[in-house]
Amino acid sequence: MKKDKASNKTLQTAGRTRRSFLQTALAGGAVATTAYLGLTRDLFAKEGGPIVIGHHCELTGGFSSWGYWHDKCAKKAVEVINEGGGIAGRKVELATEDTESNPATGARKLRALIQRRKASFVVGSVHSGIMLASIPVATELKTPYFSAGEATEATGSKGTRYSFRTGTDTYALAAAGAPWAYENLGKNWTMIFPDYAWGHSHHQEHRKIIEQMGGKVNDPIAVPLGTKDLVPYLAKIPEETEVLFSVFFGALSVAFYTQSKSMKLDEKMKMYSVSGTIEAIDPRAIDGAAEGVFFLENFPRPLEYKDDEYHRKFVEMMEIDPVHAKEEGSSRVMAKSHAWQSWENFFALKQAIEKSGWNTDKDTPMVIEALEGLEMENSLAHPQGSKLLRAEDHSGMIDCYISQVVDSKFEMKKHIPRADMMAMLPPRYDFTKQPL
Amino acid sequence: MTVQTINRAGTLLLVVFTLTAPWVLPLFVDSFWVDIYSEILIWSLLAASVNLLFGYVGLLSFGQALYFGMGMYGVAIGIAKLGFGFWGGFGFGVVLATAMAAVAGVLAVRLTWHYFAIITVVFSLIFYFLALSWKPLTGGDDGLPFGMPPLISIGDFELTLTDPDVQYFFIVLMVGACYALMGRIISSPLGRAFVTVRENDLRASLIGLNVYMIRLSAFIVSGFIAGVAGALFALFGRYASANFMFYHVSGEAVVWAIIGGVGTLFGPIVGTSLLIVLREELSHVWAHYPILVGIVVILTVIFAPKGIGGIWTSLVHRFAGANAGKGGDQ
Repeated sequence: MKKDKASNKTLQTAGRTRRSFLQTALAGGAVATTAYLGLTRDLFAKEGGPIVIGHHCELTGGFSSWGYWHDKCAKKAVEVINEGGGIAGRKVELATEDTESNPATGARKLRALIQRRKASFVVGSVHSGIMLASIPVATELKTPYFSAGEATEATGSKGTRYSFRTGTDTYALAAAGAPWAYENLGKNWTMIFPDYAWGHSHHQEHRKIIEQMGGKVNDPIAVPLGTKDLVPYLAKIPEETEVLFSVFFGALSVAFYTQSKSMKLDEKMKMYSVSGTIEAIDPRAIDGAAEGVFFLENFPRPLEYKDDEYHRKFVEMMEIDPVHAKEEGSSRVMAKSHAWQSWENFFALKQAIEKSGWNTDKDTPMVIEALEGLEMENSLAHPQGSKLLRAEDHSGMIDCYISQVVDSKFEMKKHIPRADMMAMLPPRYDFTKQPL
Repeated sequence: MTVQTINRAGTLLLVVFTLTAPWVLPLFVDSFWVDIYSEILIWSLLAASVNLLFGYVGLLSFGQALYFGMGMYGVAIGIAKLGFGFWGGFGFGVVLATAMAAVAGVLAVRLTWHYFAIITVVFSLIFYFLALSWKPLTGGDDGLPFGMPPLISIGDFELTLTDPDVQYFFIVLMVGACYALMGRIISSPLGRAFVTVRENDLRASLIGLNVYMIRLSAFIVSGFIAGVAGALFALFGRYASANFMFYHVSGEAVVWAIIGGVGTLFGPIVGTSLLIVLREELSHVWAHYPILVGIVVILTVIFAPKGIGGIWTSLVHRFAGANAGKGGDQ
């Protein structure tokens, strides 16, 4: 009996040992397989599956009033693409990360989009600091990145083979609007802007063109950051000024229009600016402070100035009214001159991916080559209008519009075809020479 | 088991994990987390610089971001504008941050408590606005990106941080060296002088310690540590920005240090790890995740004022005490 017990115990011990061995072997095998899958995932997982496109977007923070629209555009664009069969027959998966309107967070979130969420392409930020922080990361991770902000460096001195922009930068905005403003508004210019990069960049680019055309540009007025009362700076504007060019953002923009109106500057000189200073702002909401101001727009706010089926459908999909671009059931006004990029860039990618035959990330160089010099036709995919993604500097060549606020509504004064802008906009960089 | 043995085992575990992370982490989570761990190590140095001042000398600085930013700009300007190359840029960043700490420290350490906190914020703000407006040098609010020069280049052989493994181990090496330096200082007579000043500066001066010089030394060392962190982060992100000089960044470092446990060498790594992992996990599911982070901070300050480091210390002491008790019975 004792012997039986002993032999049973031996058997049990031996059994436990065998089981333990099997369990260990199985666990080891599972870990090894997981490790192997982890190592090879990047090589095979994307083939045939959904195409992940990242959206690097300002959902919170200082740019969130714009970010809301970029997000809405991206979501709707992906919806439309998937309803139409996806890209090259593959479903598009949208991965959105909030940059919090902060370059540090933005750079981190870009890594998250590419490395964690496996985005093969990224439709990028409208915040200049974020997009400039992102381009080196995107380049290193060999992922095409579409900037939507205006800092010229993104497709200029800091641009790379992987950075693209379908919209305009400060260089293009000056080329598109300054000649018309010089001819029609006046030849003596003063520029006022907040004392940071965006304002200085606009000043430099506009100054070049105005002086080239024979005009006079007075000393710039750079307003220190954090200023609330603009009156001391507005008082510095020389009497002989014919055109006051201003570049402010958000609340400071409203303060500028309100305070300059109360000083009756608009009666002494013409006021000119770019759409970024009035984006997401309804002129009716600021009691006529923007009345009479001329703006250079990328996409006319009222439907009537580009009245075609594509623009109509786009307005309908964005759920905005056709005059003030105000969202139905909310007080939000569409940041229309910038947010269209977060719609159209998905379609530009679709066109380039299908043209190049992209299948996995190793084919990305072919997409880059397809994007270089890509012609996009006026369509629902490109409701802003026909455009060219110029090969050399990866910059969008688009039509622009000069509008004036009249009775709190945008009234188009001049349609500037892209050919006119391109005549003033020779490429300063050639990224096609960079290796892929 | 003694307290020292347990702490040594904990340190060894941390070191082994850190040295094997590029291979071990991808077995369990996405390889993206290796980058996050690199980031944790860098940011923990900034928190450690707060810890050195607050935890060991009793000076609460809300201006460490200034030295972090100086380290960043030193690297970016050194590489992009002055063509210094990798080591020149890195050295320039660290020297710039340390020199800035020496200049600011001469004035700041004359003050204590809220006056000290205010002056550190003021310094930070002055240089933040200067960096924002000095566009030709700093890139203004757009920041200053740069291309990565090689770490070592001999003939055809080149080592560069664009190789993820090289980048990771370079960060580990630099961060490890900084922690070793801090450990050495803390256990040295100077470190004891720090603690003496923290506990009672009047008594410290009565026994002949030069309180001003001790505080200044701590301030400069902490500026150096923050500068190394900034220089590493610039190399990690290939970018420098004035945003990193804002006092909000200093505030985050204070929170990381407090959560981890001030006055402990590795507390800042623990606090930084916890809050960065929380941020990573929450931020892509809920945009307003800082609310939850805020709740964690409030709960920690109320229920564990010595932070996670304090909890660890009391657990280790209890465990070691229990073991000693058992040993006594036998």
